Amino acid sequence: MKNNESLLDLQAYVDGELPEDRRREVEALLPADADARELVEGLRRLSGLLRTHEPAAVVPASREFYWSQIRRRIEAESVESPTAPATAAALGWLRWLIPALGVATVVVVVSMRSPSSELALAGGGGDVTLADVSSTVFRSESDGVTVHWIQ
Amino acid sequence: MPPSVKHDYPSAADETLVQWAQTGDTEAFEELVHRHRDKIYARALMMMRNEDQALEFSQEAWVKAWQRLVQFQGDSSFATWVTRIVINLCLDQLRRQKRVRTESIEAMDEESGGVERQLPAPEVNPTAGLEQDELRRRIDEALGKLTDAHRTVVVLHEFEGLEYKEIAKRVGISIGTVMSRLFYARRRLAFLLQSLKRERSE
Repeated sequence: MKNNESLLDLQAYVDGELPEDRRREVEALLPADADARELVEGLRRLSGLLRTHEPAAVVPASREFYWSQIRRRIEAESVESPTAPATAAALGWLRWLIPALGVATVVVVVSMRSPSSELALAGGGGDVTLADVSSTVFRSESDGVTVHWIQ
Repeated sequence: MPPSVKHDYPSAADETLVQWAQTGDTEAFEELVHRHRDKIYARALMMMRNEDQALEFSQEAWVKAWQRLVQFQGDSSFATWVTRIVINLCLDQLRRQKRVRTESIEAMDEESGGVERQLPAPEVNPTAGLEQDELRRRIDEALGKLTDAHRTVVVLHEFEGLEYKEIAKRVGISIGTVMSRLFYARRRLAFLLQSLKRERSE
């Protein structure tokens, strides 16, 4: 039980983090390896010691003073009620609206800058597909109108 | 903050207080703060080893908890949820500190030299005979002698009960580094606790 990998495997065994096959290998090894057994026992003991004797601490301020500082910070940041329905609904819409606006902006910029968007279909209309943005553009020169479908 | 309906806050369960607080009841939230403030502060102090920072981050955690209260779904206990918030604040600060100072030689040595350095293996019972409060104090002292990097993995694993992969994700290191740091930290703790025992017996 000399190399890093073996030591870390023993630790992982103690922590319950070894895969089943490796766990069986370690269990088979332990009866014949006193050093490994000693390490496993020591790690278990230390872990148990820490978990049952977690250091504690007490806030060095009165209840009133501690809370008053928190409350002041909450108010200073103009926090509204955490469950205000309007706020929650707005957040829900924004989750969809922001990406949609982003895609729309890209399409508009591409269509304005790309020469392909200038393809005029004389006298009538037609489709120009911008493959890289998954959109379809219909442009009517006669009407002076361009329509973008975003897929 | 809207005015709250009068409830019997001290007698209410955490889950009930959370529900009231989620409707904007600050008195319910204050009761939650009162119940769990020492635990949150203690976790921040354990990670930062600085009372001013621990106080600052514990209060910041409560402010963030209020702001995110709508996101709390009860998947864990409320205290666990707020503890995770304060831990994230501490981890952010430790990352900032790491950028402006060099990690200790000890930590660098551990990262590059492997885990088989000749510190003693954890003794079977390094602290036999110590009183419980004394033992807690000794453990706290020993934790204080670890580097931030080593103490962080010990806190997250032993006290928060996180698995290797979760620690790796939160701290931003590989699972191998988590294992290496944890092993080294445990050996160092065992060594420190043995030293404390020897001091006591002399």
